[in-house]
Amino acid sequence: MSAIRINQLRHTYAMKNKTVTAVDDVTLDIGDNEFFTLLGPSGCGKTTTLRCIAGLEQPTSGSIELGGVVVVSDRVLVPTHRRDIGMVFQDYAVWPHMSVFENVAFPLRIGRKLRRAEIAERVEQALDLVNMSQYIDRRATQLSGGQQQRLSLARALVRQPKVLLLDEPLSNLDAKLREQMRSELRLIQQRIGITTVFVTHDQVEALSLSTRIAVMSGGRVVQEGSPREIYLEPNSEFVANFVGATSFVAGRVLSSSPVALTVGTELGTLSCRPQPDVRTGASAIVALRPESLVVTDKPTQGDNCFAGEVELSLFVGDGVDYRIKVGDQSLRARGSARVQFVAGDTVYVTAAADDCVVLLADPDGAEAARDATDVAAGDVESDR
Amino acid sequence: MTDLSIRPPQAPPARPAPVRRRRRGRPSVQGVVNAITVLVLVYLVIGPILMLLLASFEDTTAGVTIRPPFPWSLTNFTGVLGDAQTYQVLGTTLLFAAACLLFSFVVSLVFAWLVERTDLPARGLIYVLVVAPTGMPGVISAIAWGLLLNPTNGYLNVALSSVFGLHGHGPLNAYSLPAMIFVQGLALVPLTFLLITASLRNMSSTLEDAGRTSGAGPWTILRKVSLPLLRPVLIGAGIYQFVTVIEAVDIPLVLGLPGHVTVFSTEVYRVTHPAFGLPDYGASSTYGILLLALAVAPLLIYNRTVRRAQDYATVTGKAFRPRRQRLGRWRWVAFGGSLLYAVVSFILPLFVLLYASLQPYLGPISWATLRNVTLAGYRKTLSSGLFGSSLEHTLVIGLAASLAAMVLSVSLSWLIVRSKSRFTWMADTLAFIPHAIPGVVIALAVMLIYLMLPVPIYGTVWIIVVAMATQYISLATRLTTGGITQIQQGLEEAARASGARPSQVWRHVLLPLLRPVLLNGFLLVFLASIKNLTLPLMLQSSDNVVISTLIWNRWDYGDVTGAAVLSVLLTAVTVTAALVLRRLSGSEEI
Repeated sequence: MSAIRINQLRHTYAMKNKTVTAVDDVTLDIGDNEFFTLLGPSGCGKTTTLRCIAGLEQPTSGSIELGGVVVVSDRVLVPTHRRDIGMVFQDYAVWPHMSVFENVAFPLRIGRKLRRAEIAERVEQALDLVNMSQYIDRRATQLSGGQQQRLSLARALVRQPKVLLLDEPLSNLDAKLREQMRSELRLIQQRIGITTVFVTHDQVEALSLSTRIAVMSGGRVVQEGSPREIYLEPNSEFVANFVGATSFVAGRVLSSSPVALTVGTELGTLSCRPQPDVRTGASAIVALRPESLVVTDKPTQGDNCFAGEVELSLFVGDGVDYRIKVGDQSLRARGSARVQFVAGDTVYVTAAADDCVVLLADPDGAEAARDATDVAAGDVESDR
Repeated sequence: MTDLSIRPPQAPPARPAPVRRRRRGRPSVQGVVNAITVLVLVYLVIGPILMLLLASFEDTTAGVTIRPPFPWSLTNFTGVLGDAQTYQVLGTTLLFAAACLLFSFVVSLVFAWLVERTDLPARGLIYVLVVAPTGMPGVISAIAWGLLLNPTNGYLNVALSSVFGLHGHGPLNAYSLPAMIFVQGLALVPLTFLLITASLRNMSSTLEDAGRTSGAGPWTILRKVSLPLLRPVLIGAGIYQFVTVIEAVDIPLVLGLPGHVTVFSTEVYRVTHPAFGLPDYGASSTYGILLLALAVAPLLIYNRTVRRAQDYATVTGKAFRPRRQRLGRWRWVAFGGSLLYAVVSFILPLFVLLYASLQPYLGPISWATLRNVTLAGYRKTLSSGLFGSSLEHTLVIGLAASLAAMVLSVSLSWLIVRSKSRFTWMADTLAFIPHAIPGVVIALAVMLIYLMLPVPIYGTVWIIVVAMATQYISLATRLTTGGITQIQQGLEEAARASGARPSQVWRHVLLPLLRPVLLNGFLLVFLASIKNLTLPLMLQSSDNVVISTLIWNRWDYGDVTGAAVLSVLLTAVTVTAALVLRRLSGSEEI
């Protein structure tokens, strides 16, 4: 059974006499105990979608079901406080006038009548779950950012809701803490088995946490699939570029069969991962992940080996980021930290056929993706 | 709140409203509350303006008609505009306002610069002394200066006459336009000074340092950097204070009327409260409309210019300790001058009131009269029944008006900041309008409304409560809008996502978080309402006398000792309250 069913959700609003469509015909089916991620650049509609699920935003049309109960449709609009949800906000939203205990107890106190002892017990359990029991008597304002976010998570879970909504919960934390919270979030979610919808613009978070990802752009879901599918088999230039840094090479399909696919490009002929729906003669774009390119000082035996010149070489600790010029084409590559080529060196770049993913050309999506990666790349950079 | 009084702090861009909204089922509680808030405000704010328009465009020889058929007529306007005296009053009002503003802004700028940017000794003390008169009601400082400067036996006049061996009337005249300008100007200084220092303090001195490193001298920096950066504050404060000057009845009444100096506000009062005959509501409404136009015009200009306020966005920001200008040997001259100012503006009037309250009758100060010091005035005044009832009225009005203003302004501010309703702009405008309506006009309109409507509050304390709530909506909303803006929306949403109903969100999250703002606003409105003379005087009857009107009545009646006694008591309360409030909240808008 699906825990959340979103059908043809649309959200439009007026801004300066223009109608802006934030969410455009989104249909999603999220199963029980899934960790479902809405991934996309800022302004892609992922947060609005989440807020519609929470009832903090009224969609213009479409319907939403939570656990089989219709909460939004043409005829029904269940207000937020009657939806069986728990939500964690980007800026924690911890009430500064309450203690840690009071913050977590709030959802229990305002709802059904529970005995004091029971409230106390459940608050302790929730705080235990996020490793915050020792702070139970603190004032909320005395907590650090990471602690506030844990508190916020405990508060969202204490009612034992059907659905947990996470609105970029990690983005305000510093890099170290974010990594730690990331693993903990996944552990907690697995332990209590709660359906979770997670909104993020960070591909690493999305890939590492999710059971399923929907990549959004311009209010639409561009691709939906498991993290592996999203990363290894992006269906568009946008997804390939947004999820991980990618170099794109334009070309034309030379031959296509169930076992082999070759594309003629500026680099030369590329053997690519076979794909059923690609026809010979079609114009195509080949996506190359930096980490799948092998950089060597001597040519390798085998397909897809090209000579190039190092333009830029940045040592980043666990590897070296290169920009390598092959013909007129600039490729991003990630080399081992053991050897570092410097700008001007002649090197050889090799890509395994399985790592060359053919995308059908879509100029619009590519444009959007380039804008988006500026944002995402900035975030990734600050992580390191 | 250091910001600038005219506009409420701008809310962060709210999430825009969905294009199409579907109505589902019964309206939400919040929707009903919003609707009631807007309706009450429309009634409080638009009602008076409509009433004024109605009364001024009617033939009112037989009273104001509120049911059709309306006797539409322009007689009031032709009468008022055809009268040469109107233009004389207009000229006096403009001259009075301009001179007051000039005087108070020059004084305030000098003190702000001395306190914030120079090595003046005892800057903290000077700051407090300049701000201290905020608590003093206008009517009381007017009475004090009347005691000091009246031509026959003002204390200063007598002293000057004896020093220079003059005979006849004293050299200075309290009942003249220059004296009015002086006293009103002094009354404007504290708030003007506070606004300027606040903005000067927030202004990063690196901007001035940048000028200095570009080779500009102190004088050039002042002219080319500091003053231009202060321009938004100066314009904003100027317009605010302009409305303050033209709406006030107190100082023009006490000092202007005896010398036949009439401004618009006293003209409205005179026409509605004639010594004999019936009040002419048509003419007074017409004056009211003119006064309203006079107040609104600069506000419209301001709103046009304030759009460029973003140009000055760099003005705020973490300031470094500013480098202070060394005054050198002028240091102690400036200090002496500051002390002298404090003595003249605050200590001297207070002392005179205290002295007069301890004397059986008004006479020159001498060793002989010092032996006449008596508490008889206090005993007599405090034991009178009128004092008891007026004290009670003052408290009832203060509490009810501040409560009403706070309740309305909180729900209005929420509407302005959070609501996605189409009517938000209406709420915004409604909150802003009372700011531009001079108090004397509000009082006049409220008086007309309850003369006509079958609501039996005319002549009671409640009509004053209604007028005060209307007048102080803008002030209160400015505070509450700021307060709600500072509460992240996420805190409310988290409560809703935790299962809290709208009423529970208010009770458990919003109101507790807003408590300091609400308390501050409540005290601020309370303080302003007990200092206010204009509204209670315009709406006065024998059943709703408050302390401020009682003071004026005693003074008008010639009971100088009684007026002085009440003034000393009220000043003690308001000055203390103002200082406590400042300490409590750091508020700059007392």
